[in-house]
Amino acid sequence: MSKKLNHRFNRRQFLQWTGGASAVAFLAACAPAAAPTGGSEEGTTTEASSSTESASGGGTMIWVGHQEVSGLSPNDAGPTVQWAMISNIHDPMLLLDENYELIPTLAESYEATPDGLSYTFNLRQGVKFHDGTDFTSKDVKYTFEFYADAETGSTLANNFQGMESVEAPDDYTIVITMAQPNAAFLVNAATSWIVPADYHAEVGEDTYRTAPIGTGAFKLKEWVAAEYTLLEANEDYFLGRANVDFLRQEVVPEPSVRAIALETGDAHYATWPLLVEDSIRLRDSGEGYQVFATPANSVKHFPLNNDNPVLSDKRVRQAMMHALDRQRIIDDLWNGAAEIATANLTPSAPYYNPNVKTYDYNPDTAMALLEEAGWTVGDDGVREKDGVKLSFTCTTITGDQARRPIAELAQQLFKEVGIEMLLEEAPVASITEAMRKGEMDASLYNWTYGSAVDPDASTTLRSDGANNFSHFKNDRVDELMDAGLVEIDPEKRRQYYDEIQEIVAEEVPFLFLQYDSWFDVFRPEVTGLPEPGSVKNANRLMIKGRTMGLSA
Amino acid sequence: MLNYIISRLLQGALVIFLISLATFVIMRMLPGDPVMLLLGEGEIQITQEQIDAIRAKWGLDRPYYEQYLVWAGNMLRGDFGDSLIRRGVPVRDMIFEAMPVTGRLNVMAFALALLISLPAGIVAGVKRNSPFDYATTIGSTIGVALPNFWFGLMGIIVFALMLRWVPPFGLKTWQGYVLPVVVLASEQMAVFTRVMRGATIETLSQDYVRTATAKGLSRQVVILRHAVRNALLPVVTVIGFRIAFLFSGTIVIEQIFALPGLGRLFVDSLYRLDYQVVQSLVVLLAALVVFINLLTDLAYAFVDPRIRIER
Repeated sequence: MSKKLNHRFNRRQFLQWTGGASAVAFLAACAPAAAPTGGSEEGTTTEASSSTESASGGGTMIWVGHQEVSGLSPNDAGPTVQWAMISNIHDPMLLLDENYELIPTLAESYEATPDGLSYTFNLRQGVKFHDGTDFTSKDVKYTFEFYADAETGSTLANNFQGMESVEAPDDYTIVITMAQPNAAFLVNAATSWIVPADYHAEVGEDTYRTAPIGTGAFKLKEWVAAEYTLLEANEDYFLGRANVDFLRQEVVPEPSVRAIALETGDAHYATWPLLVEDSIRLRDSGEGYQVFATPANSVKHFPLNNDNPVLSDKRVRQAMMHALDRQRIIDDLWNGAAEIATANLTPSAPYYNPNVKTYDYNPDTAMALLEEAGWTVGDDGVREKDGVKLSFTCTTITGDQARRPIAELAQQLFKEVGIEMLLEEAPVASITEAMRKGEMDASLYNWTYGSAVDPDASTTLRSDGANNFSHFKNDRVDELMDAGLVEIDPEKRRQYYDEIQEIVAEEVPFLFLQYDSWFDVFRPEVTGLPEPGSVKNANRLMIKGRTMGLSA
Repeated sequence: MLNYIISRLLQGALVIFLISLATFVIMRMLPGDPVMLLLGEGEIQITQEQIDAIRAKWGLDRPYYEQYLVWAGNMLRGDFGDSLIRRGVPVRDMIFEAMPVTGRLNVMAFALALLISLPAGIVAGVKRNSPFDYATTIGSTIGVALPNFWFGLMGIIVFALMLRWVPPFGLKTWQGYVLPVVVLASEQMAVFTRVMRGATIETLSQDYVRTATAKGLSRQVVILRHAVRNALLPVVTVIGFRIAFLFSGTIVIEQIFALPGLGRLFVDSLYRLDYQVVQSLVVLLAALVVFINLLTDLAYAFVDPRIRIER
């Protein structure tokens, strides 16, 4: 495995390009660029596919993402474009599939004690890493201990909450002891991508993320961070070789160009969604595009600073919910591609509770609630109370053409009931930081408040949560959240989350608008996909690049 | 002459220092935390202590003056440091990886623009108010007025989607260069043609041109030897000026056509608050502009012997 995966340029080349030798550069540029192994030629260079699962074999499947792939260690799995590659290079003990089911992968079976304090995993034998070394329990132990420790720079430490020790009594057994139960341990920790202990320890995390070695169905072949990532089928993959020979992800920032690339056949799938209108257009084109629409984990919402005196009364926040015509927002501004939100969890989540207080569009109810809270209409039509205007500022993300119109419509709708919402813009990183610190009143973005993977929302809804943008403080929610985290019986656990969603619906810590449909668009010739409509989260299909093929 | 160059270089060094300081301050003033940008839209849950541990690991917990001095000191030694977001990858490698892409695009676009616009400007200036002149004027007005991104997207729709002559993105084949180069060149072309035309008209009305014609030289010799040579002077100024601007054009073009050049690197790094990369790029570009301005001044003396650089 070459550590120099990136092109490096020596001084002479540098001078050639920059030092004014423009003639040389021009001539060199006119010559056909030394094409990095691209396009369809790749398929012909390797032996015929040994796959037995599908008739379609070989070829290069091309995915298009929106931003560069800056690292390929399990730690980098936050951004989707990176997760798409990392998950095809590595395997977890248990794989969380597109229907949120745990599929034994590197572990053949597992047991948990009823008190949730101990887990035993029996590992699969005969699995090899891409460098030929055997996969054993020491790799799991090493991976868990490394990424559970935030001091190593791990972004994943929270997944291992409550873990006390990882033991490897023999080469193919892992025993995990918990200091306290963690209901999300299986979905969060047991699904961690496993890295090879010896190699990772030798090269360190910083090098590993540029030259990863996993057990996965694909191995890293070439990688130019800002341009493309090229994976090659692992001939010896323990669950059967991938159908395609190569999986290549290109970086195409402009969404309309990603859609055009799908239409011209220059790409087979978009790792990061197209514009909603393009997705719908391709779905309805009748040309056989396989289009999945599944609800995103995140909620599109206006986070509201509950510490702000104007916004601290829940009746004001409830009034704003009644003032918002959410169906109109979805129909007019979102191409109908969303569902009205009921609280913090999405309908695809196993712990989703549909029986909560709802808010219909009703300006009269909104005004009645505001009157009840003591806000009366002033001379300029804006309500006042004790000389304070019912006015606040919503800061939207600079250049966010998709969500900005929603803020503008909301501004009008609020005005009709006597609430003044001013609009400003700022970069996304500035907004999340300022909301976190309580320096902004409100904003508009998507965030995950407990996901379909696990309903825990301690970091976003707990009083001391790092991403408690709304500064929501509710003792009962804190209590329920702590109880929910350590209860491993799903049915008992459900009661806690049912109540959390009821409280969120009642208290309205933030204005929950809608659950966006997340579109996944595949070209007609991609094989091995389930029926659209049969999966809970089509985005997770990209973990299984192995099962997809290309028909001629 | 040498003294002049040295003093200009010293001035340039001061400018670069001030720009490095300003960039550093602006980047730190942007509220926001690069660590948070690793987490997607909340898919990864994290606590404040865990965020702090990562910030400490990245050296972001140190005092600002210390961060600046470490970075500036390293820059002086030619070490741009490691990228914050692509930890483990030196910024220098990232820049050298992106530079050839931007360099190739710009050299080709510039060459194309000069090849077409200089003759066009001269002919339009000589044959003033002819149909050719009007066509050139209209063409270059449109070229200046059309935003790059619109022209680029239209190009992709027509030539990639409808005609399938070129790929919609990337530089895997030579066809990939066609659209980005033409779009980049179109903007330059419009500017050069107008300046060349104006300068040609200006010089043609000079006394020495009339004298040259009066002494019986052929029209061709008058235009090429006497008029055009002098008309080139303002064009050289504009060319120098435009070189410094080229980069801003490629930011948009590289974004649309998905080209892994310096413009993309800059935008991506800015979005991700990759302080190291943005700071290094800005300082390098400042140095480039200072250098090009110096070259432009020296080129005056070469093109116009009346200009003598003295100090």
